[in-house]
Amino acid sequence: MKNSISLKSLLPAFYFAIGIAIVGGIWELIAHLTKNEIPNPSMTWITFKEVIQQPMQDDPDIKGIGTKLLSSLKRVGIGFGIGSLIAIPLGIIMGSSKTIMAILNPIVQILRPVSPLAWFPLGLAMFKDSPAASVFMIFICSLWPTMINTSFGVSAIPQDHKNVGKAFGFSKWKYFIKIMLPYSLPHILTGLRLSIGIAWMVIVAGEMLSGGIGLGYFVWEEGFNGGSVAKIIVAIIIIGLVGLILDKIFMQLQKKFSYAA
Amino acid sequence: MNTAILTEEIVKTAAETVPIFNTNKVEQPTKTSIDIKNITVSFKTPQGIYTAVKDISLTVKKGEIVSLIGHSGCGKSTLMGTISGMVKPSNGSVMVNHTLVTKPGTDRGIVFQNYSLLPWFSVYKNIYEVVDAAIKNKTSKEKKELVEKNLKMVNLWEHKDKLPGQLSGGMKQRVAIARAFAINPSILLLDEPFGALDALTKSTMHVELLKLWNLDNREKTIIMVTHDIEEAIFLSDRVVVMNNGPAATIKEIVDIPLTRPRNKKDIIHDPAYMLIHDKLLNLLIDKFSIDDIPSL
Ligand SMILES: Nc1ncnc2c1ncn2[C@@H]1O[C@H](COP(=O)(O)OP(=O)(O)OP(=O)(O)O)[C@@H](O)[C@H]1O
Ligand SMILES: [Mg+2]
Repeated sequence: MKNSISLKSLLPAFYFAIGIAIVGGIWELIAHLTKNEIPNPSMTWITFKEVIQQPMQDDPDIKGIGTKLLSSLKRVGIGFGIGSLIAIPLGIIMGSSKTIMAILNPIVQILRPVSPLAWFPLGLAMFKDSPAASVFMIFICSLWPTMINTSFGVSAIPQDHKNVGKAFGFSKWKYFIKIMLPYSLPHILTGLRLSIGIAWMVIVAGEMLSGGIGLGYFVWEEGFNGGSVAKIIVAIIIIGLVGLILDKIFMQLQKKFSYAA
Repeated sequence: MNTAILTEEIVKTAAETVPIFNTNKVEQPTKTSIDIKNITVSFKTPQGIYTAVKDISLTVKKGEIVSLIGHSGCGKSTLMGTISGMVKPSNGSVMVNHTLVTKPGTDRGIVFQNYSLLPWFSVYKNIYEVVDAAIKNKTSKEKKELVEKNLKMVNLWEHKDKLPGQLSGGMKQRVAIARAFAINPSILLLDEPFGALDALTKSTMHVELLKLWNLDNREKTIIMVTHDIEEAIFLSDRVVVMNNGPAATIKEIVDIPLTRPRNKKDIIHDPAYMLIHDKLLNLLIDKFSIDDIPSL
């Protein structure tokens, strides 16, 4: 009995190992076919260990991988943070007023499909500074999912919940804090989770345009200045893992604030 | 078998615990609590305008218990909504405590038909937040005492930390009842408050309702929607029978002149009770009497 339970909990790890083995096999094959133009896993592993040595090195011309990662995270944090601080209130206002929804929604719908990269030159023109331009880009692309999901959550508050507020004399503030926010919080978190996912994807592209210190620029540098393909693969894996962690954080928040109806 | 015995016991205790109303008390001039005048409610629907209730008038005295009974969809909840201020009448007016109803207010405590609990709050918080919003002149300690008292009344104190999603239908209903009672309104609007309860819990809740009513010198006005004829007779002073919709009206108002306190066990043997019961049954099911069904 006990055995079967612990076996069951090991199952996901087992499947993960199978997945890794399959990807590793294909990777090995590609390395072989390209005559190690694409380095094989064991070569990449050696590079990986090199790259993560002295991760926090911050000399004028040598930056550790950790320093680069933090620099990218900081840009995402600032852009996403400011974007969310604007998107959540705007979404709430949109969701509570049909008129404001009618005014803002078409604009959001037009701007939302625009590739975040298109905002980069605009940011550059505004700030005359390319790292600031990539923060601006993150800011813009963090707006839409959060705004749309927040406004949807707020506008979908069931009549039953509104009735409680009406019947028992809730003040506007109490209604906001005790009914509107708790109901829309899961929707807001969905928006934030989508936003951070996009932001993390976009920062890599942004830093390729902007240069400076960061994971995106690192990939660019290695790729086009005759650098090492192994380093690019290492960077891709690190970018993926960090993205996964960011997503998991917001998933946990979603879980924490969801409730059974 | 156990259940049967238990029911009787409960009912016995019930009869004992309901304090005897002082019948020698000087009769006060009866005040009007609710005055419904020519209420019509129409809804705009995609299929056109639907008139749910039409030209309904009803006056309820302060301290009266009135039941609304009628077939599903006839407009009972709609009529209740015009009293609570949740539904805007298309025509006519409702006065509550001599004030025109324009919006909901905490002088009316509502038990919604679908409970309407806030799913993100515990049972305790569901009541506390409402008490906190509706009652201004009490300290937070007094408010907490109110919550505790009302949760104990509906036997849910041990479940106070559960979320509504973790409760049974009957438990949710009891939370909704405790919530309406907790704000101590002068009028209680109960939309099928006991519909999801088993017979045993129902009996207990009937007694609790009457206890509360007695404690307050029978000054609370109670309007209750029910589908249960026995319940309507046991609790009410008058039973309002509604016609079927659309454009439902009041079919008949039946007086229940049975003396209080009423004992659930004894009352059913009272010839007056049986007469009223028959009358209500006929009003409700005349169309569907056995004679109407063609015999095989
Ligand atoms: N908001 C609304 N919009 C359109 N029609 C409505 C609305 N509310 C109620 N109705 C209609 O009015 C009629 C009466 O509804 P109501 O809920 O008052 O019935 P009820 O007597 O309470 O029924 P039940 O016993 O099933 O609770 C129904 O035909 C219903 O479809
Ligand atoms: Mg109803």
